[in-house]
Amino acid sequence: MKHPFSLNLIAVTVGTLLLSGCGDAETNIVEKAPIETPQNDHNHDHHDHGDEGFTIESLGRLAVLSGESAELSMVNLDNRAVIDSFSLMHESNSLTASADYRFAVLTSRSQDYVGFIDGGLWREDHVAHLHDYEQAPSMSPFELAGSQPTHVVKHEGQMAIFYDGDAESNTPASVQVITDTNIANEVSVLPSIMYSINMHGVAEPRGEYLLATLRRDDAENTSVNKILPDQVGVFHQHNGEYELEHTLDVTCPNLHGAAQNKTYVAFGCGDGVLIAHQHGNSFDAEKIANIESLGDLRIGNLYGHEHSTSFFGIASAHGGSQSILLHVAPQTKSMTQLEWQPTSRVVSYGFSYDGKYFLVLESTGVLSMLAAHQHDNEVHWEVERTLAVSEQDTSAMPEGMRFSMTVAQNGPYAYVADPIANHVLEIHLDDLEVEGHIELSFSPSALSWLGIAKPHQHD
Amino acid sequence: MYKALPNVSPIAAIVSVLLSTSTLAQTIEGVVLNQKGEGIAGAHIEVEGTSSKIKTDRRGKFVITDLQAGNTELHFSAQGFAHQHRDLTLGANERKHVNITLLRSPIEVVDVVATPIHMSVMESAAPVSVISGDSLRRQQAATLGDSLEKIAGVNTNFHANVASTPIIRGLSGPRVMIAQNGLDTSDVSRVGPDHAVATEASTARQIEVLRGPATLFYGSGAVGGVVNVVDERVPTDNTTRGEWSLGTTPVNSRNQASFNITTGISDIALYADGHWRETGDYKVPVSPEAEHNEQNDNHQFIVKNSAEEAKGVTLGSSYLLENGYVGASIELFNRQYGIPGHSHGNEGIPVFADLEQSRIQVQGEFELDNTWISKVNLRGGMTHYEHAELENNEVGTLFENDTHELKVDLLHSPFLHWNGGVSVHLKHSEIAAQGEEAFTPPSEAKTLALALMEEKHFDKVLVQVGARIERVSLTADNVLLPDIDAHDHNESTSQNHDQHGHSDENTITRVFSVDQTFTPVTFSAGLVWDYLPGYNLGLSISRSERAPTASELLSFGPHIGTGSYEVGAMFAIHNDEEHAHFGLTDSVINLETANNIDLTFRKTQGDFGFVLNAFYNRIDNYYYQSATGLFAESGHDHSHAHSAELSAEPSAEPSSDHDSHSDELPIYLFHTDDVILHGFEAQFGWQVTDTIKATLFSDFVRARRQDGGNLPRTPPLRFGSQFSYEDTQLSAHIDVTRYQNQSRTAAEESTTDGYTLVDAVIAYQLAISDQDISIYLKGENLTDTEARVHSSFLKDIAPRPGRRLSLGIRGYF
Repeated sequence: MKHPFSLNLIAVTVGTLLLSGCGDAETNIVEKAPIETPQNDHNHDHHDHGDEGFTIESLGRLAVLSGESAELSMVNLDNRAVIDSFSLMHESNSLTASADYRFAVLTSRSQDYVGFIDGGLWREDHVAHLHDYEQAPSMSPFELAGSQPTHVVKHEGQMAIFYDGDAESNTPASVQVITDTNIANEVSVLPSIMYSINMHGVAEPRGEYLLATLRRDDAENTSVNKILPDQVGVFHQHNGEYELEHTLDVTCPNLHGAAQNKTYVAFGCGDGVLIAHQHGNSFDAEKIANIESLGDLRIGNLYGHEHSTSFFGIASAHGGSQSILLHVAPQTKSMTQLEWQPTSRVVSYGFSYDGKYFLVLESTGVLSMLAAHQHDNEVHWEVERTLAVSEQDTSAMPEGMRFSMTVAQNGPYAYVADPIANHVLEIHLDDLEVEGHIELSFSPSALSWLGIAKPHQHD
Repeated sequence: MYKALPNVSPIAAIVSVLLSTSTLAQTIEGVVLNQKGEGIAGAHIEVEGTSSKIKTDRRGKFVITDLQAGNTELHFSAQGFAHQHRDLTLGANERKHVNITLLRSPIEVVDVVATPIHMSVMESAAPVSVISGDSLRRQQAATLGDSLEKIAGVNTNFHANVASTPIIRGLSGPRVMIAQNGLDTSDVSRVGPDHAVATEASTARQIEVLRGPATLFYGSGAVGGVVNVVDERVPTDNTTRGEWSLGTTPVNSRNQASFNITTGISDIALYADGHWRETGDYKVPVSPEAEHNEQNDNHQFIVKNSAEEAKGVTLGSSYLLENGYVGASIELFNRQYGIPGHSHGNEGIPVFADLEQSRIQVQGEFELDNTWISKVNLRGGMTHYEHAELENNEVGTLFENDTHELKVDLLHSPFLHWNGGVSVHLKHSEIAAQGEEAFTPPSEAKTLALALMEEKHFDKVLVQVGARIERVSLTADNVLLPDIDAHDHNESTSQNHDQHGHSDENTITRVFSVDQTFTPVTFSAGLVWDYLPGYNLGLSISRSERAPTASELLSFGPHIGTGSYEVGAMFAIHNDEEHAHFGLTDSVINLETANNIDLTFRKTQGDFGFVLNAFYNRIDNYYYQSATGLFAESGHDHSHAHSAELSAEPSAEPSSDHDSHSDELPIYLFHTDDVILHGFEAQFGWQVTDTIKATLFSDFVRARRQDGGNLPRTPPLRFGSQFSYEDTQLSAHIDVTRYQNQSRTAAEESTTDGYTLVDAVIAYQLAISDQDISIYLKGENLTDTEARVHSSFLKDIAPRPGRRLSLGIRGYF
């Protein structure tokens, strides 16, 4: 064996022959929001233990807008505490949740702005298992800009933002469709539609299709108010762009409001409800005409749920104080006025996470929970329970404020924000009882549930 | 375009006509002879600085036409002979005649393909080994490391027959680049010893090993060396030829088949290969694990879960141009194998790996009639790799690697008698791991490199120089630092249990976005001095830098393949409130720098030859793992229903057969140190008669930290000999390899006993129609000795296989 002595001599040679460092190394580390993982309670369903250790049990979070300042607070529902607050760029905001409920979506119509706040709870499908993440909420640097973003519609993981455009500046309307993953990855090139004219329209995303309103030339447009469209186009996505495949052959004058469920897409028209029905790659259309009892009123808002066969239509005169609640059933092509009707102005409607209940919150603080019943092979929705969400005199309601409601997507809960008492009520739906309060240091103007939605049981 | 040339073989004629259409009129003709004055058929002649390659005819004659006037350098080579280099000067329109006598070389000399400078075991400044032909077929094994382990300076990290990577001069893993036709294999073999290399030896034409720093050619990942598996998937000509083989090793239920074929019509060349192999759990002469006696029903010892099934197919085609070729190939590669020792506690649930790769390679060579650039070499690859580790038929961990790579070599026309070129190299890899053992976060690595390699003959001295600069960026958006309960096993048990608690407390995982940019630079200079005819001295000096890999920097998690909880160099242990926790390191992340010097002394021709190498390699900022003395839970949970009880009350119930640390792994932390590796390789060959040959080799590496202490898993001193008999019909080879014991161990590593392996193979050749058929009988580990590989992670549970006989048949056409 060789003795290392001679080699050490060589080492000296190497050391002197070669110059010192020419290479360069640069490291840049940014700490992001941490992930909180609750300890497993080992009570998982063992049938799907492939997800074990990856899924999170959490009630979720609430994004709550302040009515006093441009601020949004994030509430952790597991301990009913505000965990962070964010200053907002603009004063007037509408709040909703992103398609998979990870982000709070803020739209400011007057500022042509759509912004996002990461609620910090989301799920990824790692094929072998579902992987849940729990991180601190954070303001996303990502934003979308478009002229007058107004109606934001979500369906099965996609969110369509309808930008109305502006007649004065000759800015046409447009639509962008975005997923939570797009938001997380700050993808700014999105599947979109660019119209040639402005309109107050709406678009319903449906897989690779997008059903979006069309405004014809004023001469052809059957709408009285010409800013309202009167047709629906079926757009199909090719290479990230939507192309108009065909136009539904039923017109919809004064189109306003839309909703969809597993089978149908519904649009509110001046003369009824336009129902589009998907058959594989094509859609056909028909109209359920307004019933006589509506008189001059028309359905201007629609509510649907993926797993409910019923749509709810809200008919009201423009700016009217009272609304009529209608049940629209595409299967039987029927429109019926519910026996029960709200007695005061309604501030919020919503289906429960499983589509079992329909909730109606009135300005007086009365929350009514409707459930479906079968009578003579027909579905009737009847009030199951009611709850007064406030014990206080609602005349103490601050100027311009009102109650607001959001519905959890992972269990039978609804949350009602009370601007008088500055708290949010946690309401369990099965018995419509208040289970707890989330105390706030401000007067809430809107709220939206964020978290990991319970997957729909596909049948 | 066919011209009738007198006294030229048809092949030579086709080749010379194909190569160039220029009107250059200088010609060299001649004959290549052996020592007895007989012509050598099939000798190769290369015109350096161009891609002209010509073969001699049956009588050893050759003609090279269309040469430039002035100086021409020719390189002569033939199997079994020493290569020769000849400088000739041609006048305008001269037709020169030369006689070349090649002397025998008992050490096989095969040139490395596709490097801008000439490299072979006998002729280059830096040490190179190439195995091809029959010696490759004799040595090929299921895994790459095992196939190469009889090369001096190369050891295997033997992983129970199912995986292995080569260890070159004591270095492996992220320091040894594994390439397929010069492009990264793009698997995850460098991340864990239980991850197989996505290449196959049985369809390869040759395997090249560059010992010592080869960053010049292959970049940052080749600081310790390179293994390049070369096949003809993108064919360079359309001569029909091929090879097939069938073999069986009954004792391990092993059967294998492979073929490769090259053919073509007119200007289209086609290539196909395929391989298939299945192996059962292999038998060993002693109990695989020292403490247990796990015999099967026949009272034999087996290494459980060491079965393997491999298959792959490659198709390629190229378009032959007048001045080169361009082609593409596609390969589908699949391997499924058990991972012995990859289980936890005493549950013994076997883990299987299922590896799939699809690889597209594009290759082209264009000779240009240009004053500046004589040739362009192009190589590109697109690889998608997936590797799932399965238990109970469920994917536990999924590794993915998507790599795109492009290499362009521009060879210049000889400039002041310098030959060489510039190489541009682009690589983009995305590596992800998901699941229980995703110890490295998803990362993206981008490399852009520029290299220059030049060589020149100054009379008897060949000078080879090179430099390379790279830009390596590594980004990982979600590097996780979980708050693990790292604990010392000396802590009192009660305290320990509190820490294990599974209360409702939340655990916080810190998340980092990491962006690193490195600029490694390599310089290399060497010379080969033919100071006496038939002898040369080589010296090679290099300074190479390496960017650390994602797994060395960013890991944080259990790695069952190495039985450790791995923590990357970006993190460090912080102690506060008497409790250790991990945070970001305060140290600067630096490049690893190797300063290497190589001395070579060779006797290149005659009946006796040798190659002696000595090397000294000082590596600063050497990234390596060492035990922290802390332990963490593996988080690997097989025991679904009762796992809660396990971690809460590990030893409360005597009935439980889990001991308290059954699900825990020692934490190993990557950090840097200055290390020194030095050693030697020696090869002697003696052609005793025309049929009998003896070769001897020995190698040794000493790997130590500069401030004392050894590096782990360093191969021991080794001696090997091969005696062979070869005539036209019968050949016999006996290999005896002695591995000394290894007592220079790292902390927490045990010594390993020495052993002697005896292998033999007898082959009988017969010619049937146009085919050469060879029937062989091969015996390995004939003395049925217990052989534990010190450089293996599994040395204590998986020794080398015991005695086994294989029978096979091979055909060449």
